Amino acid sequence: MVIFDECKKAIVRGDIEKAEELANQSLADKLNLNTVVDAFSDAIRHVGNLFDEGEYFLPELMRSAEAMKAAMAILTPHLSSSEVETRSLGTVVIGTIEGDIHDIGKTLVAAMLTAEGFEVHDLGADVPVTTFIEKALEVNAQLICISALLTTTMVGQKKLINQLVKQNIRDRFKVLLGGAPVSKNWVAEIGADGTAENAISAVKLAKELMEH
Amino acid sequence: MGSELIAAGLPTRTPSESWNVTAPEKVKQIHKNYFDAGSNAVLTNTFGGTRIKLAALEYGDKVEEYNAKAVGIVRSVCPDGCFVGGDIGPTGKFLPPVGKATTDDFSENFLEQAKILAENGVDFFFIETMMDIKEAEAAVLAARKVANIPIFASITYQKTKRGYFTVMGNSIEQCVTILEKAGADVIGANCTIGSDDMIELIVQLRNATKLPISAKPNAGMPELRNGETVYPTIPEDFARDIVQIVNAKANVVGGCCGTDPQYIKQITKVLKGI
Repeated sequence: MVIFDECKKAIVRGDIEKAEELANQSLADKLNLNTVVDAFSDAIRHVGNLFDEGEYFLPELMRSAEAMKAAMAILTPHLSSSEVETRSLGTVVIGTIEGDIHDIGKTLVAAMLTAEGFEVHDLGADVPVTTFIEKALEVNAQLICISALLTTTMVGQKKLINQLVKQNIRDRFKVLLGGAPVSKNWVAEIGADGTAENAISAVKLAKELMEH
Repeated sequence: MGSELIAAGLPTRTPSESWNVTAPEKVKQIHKNYFDAGSNAVLTNTFGGTRIKLAALEYGDKVEEYNAKAVGIVRSVCPDGCFVGGDIGPTGKFLPPVGKATTDDFSENFLEQAKILAENGVDFFFIETMMDIKEAEAAVLAARKVANIPIFASITYQKTKRGYFTVMGNSIEQCVTILEKAGADVIGANCTIGSDDMIELIVQLRNATKLPISAKPNAGMPELRNGETVYPTIPEDFARDIVQIVNAKANVVGGCCGTDPQYIKQITKVLKGI
């Protein structure tokens, strides 16, 4: 149907108003909402690929993610609760560790996770370990994503894992690490569950982890 | 500078600029080490000295003090014939759709910092690590308004599958056009990429501008080994890349993250013959 192509286009172009208009139109036309949401989701994945290829950059990605969010805000209340449940990929708590104010990579991952269908609680930057854990328990998150751009603040990631172990709740969460200096070795060293090269691979990894 | 301050014991959550006031001797020693290693110019310890950046760490009321003190510290160890550059880094905030900052916010912040640096006698401005050409443009325009001294405008590019771009998607050509128009005297690249990837970037930058070029690569990408931060490129390899960067017609060279006076010493040594 033409409208599905329009939906895709609106997301790829990052056209928030158009995305909202199309979401409203599909409600008015009583279209199968699952198919509509699929069209939007396909588009956001395409945007992710464009970013990966160096065709899209941060502003385009943010705009597309915002358009996706706007459309979903209109559609979600009309999906049945079982549909919402099957669609929700999981609950994520994300933030940049205490002492570190670098927030761009984290914001990017949060936007892509939201666009993909995760329920995302973004705590911002300079977040203490205790806040991560309290929030994760409060919203019953499955994933904690913790970003550190400085080698001096990366120890905070270790602190988080240690604290989870100490509180005997390490098994309740998967912990993903973000930040340019983070390596696979660091993940292994501190016993985290993974890290990814960029926001797109981060979303793939988050989905894989949710399947286990 | 930043790596050196951390090595000297700068605690987290503390702006490195605070040491201009609380530990000026340590800052001075680092500057002196660079001049001793052969640097012709050293930058002030003011990379994060804009109001927005300092305010993020709740030191917003210290802008004047930190920036004013910084200049004198370098000057006190600057040999005859060498220069003091006023370092200006990004605010850490972004324009929509990424963030909520405005170009007016940028302008005000850079005007304030540049004015203090100029009043205290820097020989040139070094605007660096800019990821958004619009923020870089605001900084150059502000610096131009403040003083008639040379302005270096250095952008941080990443290497994508389609070539070198800022994280905002600005191409080399786009950056050059805007910076030249804003009044930059030297156009450069620094941070994010290592010295090896910087070579091709400088080749492309040279094709895009006739202005002098500056290049300050990282010593590779940082890795954490046994709890220690390690930048993988050793001074000898770094200096070998710098020779190629100079051969690609860069006019001013130096080091960014992970480099230290040893790297400068090595650069000075290998460049002697050129």
